[in-house]
Amino acid sequence: MSNNNRWIFIVGLLIGLIAVAAIVLPQLKPYTFHATVLQSPDKAPEFNLETATGPVSLDEFEGKIVLLYFGYTFCPDICPATLAEVSNALDMLGRKAEDVQLIMISVDPGRDTPEMLRDYVTHFHPSFLGATGSEEEIATVATLYGIFYEKHEGTAASGYLVDHTATVMAIDQEGHLKLIFSYGTPAQEIAEDLDHLLN
Amino acid sequence: MKKGLLYTLYALIGLLVIAALAFKIFQPVQVVPRIRLSPGFSLIDQDGERLTNEDLRGKFVLYNFSFTRCPNPCGNMNQTISEIQGRLDEANLGDIEMRFVTISFDPEYDSPEILKQYADSLGADSAQWKFVTTADETLLKAIIGGGFEAYYNLNEDSSFSFDPKFVLVDGWGIIRGEYRYQTQVPDTERILRHIGVLAEEVQNSQGSASLAYEAAHYFLCYTP
Repeated sequence: MSNNNRWIFIVGLLIGLIAVAAIVLPQLKPYTFHATVLQSPDKAPEFNLETATGPVSLDEFEGKIVLLYFGYTFCPDICPATLAEVSNALDMLGRKAEDVQLIMISVDPGRDTPEMLRDYVTHFHPSFLGATGSEEEIATVATLYGIFYEKHEGTAASGYLVDHTATVMAIDQEGHLKLIFSYGTPAQEIAEDLDHLLN
Repeated sequence: MKKGLLYTLYALIGLLVIAALAFKIFQPVQVVPRIRLSPGFSLIDQDGERLTNEDLRGKFVLYNFSFTRCPNPCGNMNQTISEIQGRLDEANLGDIEMRFVTISFDPEYDSPEILKQYADSLGADSAQWKFVTTADETLLKAIIGGGFEAYYNLNEDSSFSFDPKFVLVDGWGIIRGEYRYQTQVPDTERILRHIGVLAEEVQNSQGSASLAYEAAHYFLCYTP
């Protein structure tokens, strides 16, 4: 090899190495979730509630990611905004979204019927489920999932309102509560985290 | 030429594996585990005011479960809390606020007035140390027994059997420490150390440093 060729070889090799490193290194970097991650050995609390199409419980969805959200159909702002973000996230996931099931549990069992919940949630995404139960059942499941909710006066038009914790929780394919998305997490970040869990 | 590339790739992967192992062995960053979600609740405190888990968001909270007519273990638990309260400076909390919440599982006797008397008898600062309960006993069982996984049971002679326990919760409502009463190291030392480690994580895990903390969680680098 002439001197000139040797230099070309070395520079080429360096460029090649940098290119390989640029491709390989990001793959090796551990993924950082946008949501808060839990590493709980316990299974997420079970629940048995009603939907418009019949009873629903958490263990039915083993093998899928369950997104749990506590809201109500009269909810003026926070619930629609959150459900729209999750719906957009599912659209971004494409076919993988079939392995994700959102369940909205009503914090207003006095007014929300299973049918009203179905009409409300499917407006955001056809796969969404809306579930409710007795006041005691809802109080217990909300407590176990760290959800605070409380009725307070609204306007004459809206009736009473319900303040509630507005997080979305992701339960992984094995039934462990894995991620907690705080209110306002953008669809893109939800989609990235779910995509990583699905892989 | 191809071999050269391959070797470089092997070397890179090898380095990363060594780095991961070194992280696991030397644990340059230690954390307290994210155990599970703490329960949601709305309870009434010693001043008759409502206290919810949402009011405590952003603060560190040390919970314990007891009742004012409790003879001995409760006294010692109160002493532990007082001691931690007195030595909080050691945890370097910075701007993070700390609360202590004692939940009574005897609402029939422990009215807010009784709780108030009890708190006063202990000289508790009511802004920092809340004594709470609710008359809804089903919900109380779900909160203490289900959410905090602390056992208690009303006996036939109307005394209580219970498992004295402290639970440390972070500002996101996640349980970060559970302390069965005086089992290993004296509780005060261990709880204070954990509060300090937690504060360090909250204060430092921003930007690229958060990667190191996430790695510490991933590799289970838990502080003893």
